[in-house]
Amino acid sequence: MMIMPRGHQLLLPVSPLFMLITMVIALLLDMLQSMAWLGNAAWAPDWLALVLVFWAIHQPLKVGVGVAFMLGLLTDVHQTSLLGQHALTYTVQGYLATMIHRRILWFDVPSQALQVLPVFMAAQLLELSVRIAAGGLFPGWFFLVPPLLQALAWPVVTVMLLAPQRRAPDPDKHRPL
Amino acid sequence: MPLGSLDRTPPPFFKQGTSALTKLVFFSALSSGLMFADQHYNIVQPARWALSLIVYPVQWMALRPKVLWDHVDDVFESKQESLNAAEQARAKLLTQAVSASQVEQLKLENDHLRRLLELKQRNPTLAMAAEVIYEAADPFTRKMILDKGAAQGIQNSSPVMDDQGILGQVTRVHPLVSEITLVTDREHSIPVLNTRTGARGVAFGESGGAPLLELRYMATNADIEEGDVLTTSGVDGVYPPGIPVAKVVKIERRADSVFARILCESLARVQGARHVMVLEPVKLSLPGFKELPPPPQPNAKGSR
Repeated sequence: MMIMPRGHQLLLPVSPLFMLITMVIALLLDMLQSMAWLGNAAWAPDWLALVLVFWAIHQPLKVGVGVAFMLGLLTDVHQTSLLGQHALTYTVQGYLATMIHRRILWFDVPSQALQVLPVFMAAQLLELSVRIAAGGLFPGWFFLVPPLLQALAWPVVTVMLLAPQRRAPDPDKHRPL
Repeated sequence: MPLGSLDRTPPPFFKQGTSALTKLVFFSALSSGLMFADQHYNIVQPARWALSLIVYPVQWMALRPKVLWDHVDDVFESKQESLNAAEQARAKLLTQAVSASQVEQLKLENDHLRRLLELKQRNPTLAMAAEVIYEAADPFTRKMILDKGAAQGIQNSSPVMDDQGILGQVTRVHPLVSEITLVTDREHSIPVLNTRTGARGVAFGESGGAPLLELRYMATNADIEEGDVLTTSGVDGVYPPGIPVAKVVKIERRADSVFARILCESLARVQGARHVMVLEPVKLSLPGFKELPPPPQPNAKGSR
C-alpha cells in the first residue's frame, strides 16, 4: 500500500544513467552559456543547480549532499571562482532540497516552483556574501535574477526529467513508448 | 522511497546511512576550508590541476557549437565587410609604413648612443601568441582563459597584451589552459607612466561595475587631463616599459579629498579580445636577476 496524492500517476523507477546524463547535460549547458553566449553576466541562470535540486527532491536516496559537493567543485574549476564556493552553495541546496522533499511533492507543480525559489535564493545570497567577504567586486543587482529564472523553469524541467518515468509499464503496439 | 514512484527495492528501514545534517556540516566545513586555503595559501593548486583535467573534455565539448558557429559566420561574412576590412588594413599599413621605415635607422642610432653611454643592451622580449577561448563565468572577477598552458610553456605572472595594449597578467597556469586577470579586475594593479607629463602612478581595476581602471594616489592638483595616455613604466619588473595601457576618460576633483578620482579606459579590448601575445616577465630577462633559492627543506627522517 502506498501513500501518494490522489490523482497522481504511479511513476516507473528512475534510471541512474538517465540522472547522470541529465546532470552532465546541465553542466554542458552552463558551460556553453558562459563560454559562447553570456560571458560572466550576473543574471545567467545555473541549470546544474536546478537539475541538482530537482533530483535531490525526487530521488533523495540517490542524489544528495555528496553529489552536490562534487558537482560544485567541478563548477568552481570551470568558472575559475574561489575553489569551494560552488561546492558550498550546492551542498546547502542539496541539504535544503532533501529537507523539503517529503512535503513539496504533495503540491501541484506551480506551487512547487514557488517553494524551491527560497532554496535557490538562499544559495545565491550565500554565494554573494562569501565572495564579498573574500574581496570580490559587487556584480550588480542582476545577480538576484537567476533564482527567479530557475524557479520559472521548474515546471518545464519537471515535465522533461519525469518523462521517462511516465512511460507505460507494459508497452504494446498502441503505446510503443 | 520517493513519493509516487514504483521502485523495486524498498527503502532501508534501519540502516539509513549518514544523516543529511551530518553531511551538510561535513561538506560545508570542507568547502569552507578549501576556500580559506585557496584565498590565503597556494596549497590547493594541485587539486585545481587535477579537477581541470576532468573538466577539460566537457569544456571542449561545450565549445564545439561556438566553434561551429564562428566557422559558419566566417564563411558567410559578406563581401562588403571583407572589402572594408581590407581597406582599413591598407590604410593602417600606410600610416605604419612611415614610422616603420624610420625604425631601422632609429634602432641603429639608439645602439650607438647606448654604446656611447655604456648602458646595458635592452633584451628583446620573448613572446608567444595565444587565443582567448572564453571569458571566465565568475561574475565577481574579470578573467579570461587562454588556449595555452603549462604544456606550451606559459609561465605564471607573464604579461599579456593584444594589438592595442596591455590586457592583463597570467595568474594561474593549468596543464592545457591558463587564466589571465584583466587590468580591469579589482585585485589587479599596474604601474603606469603618463606619456604627456612623465608622471608615474599606479592604476588599479575599478571596484564598481564598469570595466574601467582607476589611477589612484594622484594629488588633486596633479597635472593630468582627460585624454592622457598611460603606458607601462616598467618599474615592477613584470611589464616591459612603454606599452600602452589606458586612456584617462574622467577626472573628479573633490574638495574633501587629497586625491583626485581619475577613471581610465583600457586601450586593450578587455571585453572582446581574441588573439593575444603572452610576453615573458621582464625580471626573468634582466641580467642581474637570480631565482630566489628554494626554501630549506625540513630534514627527512633518517637522512643525516
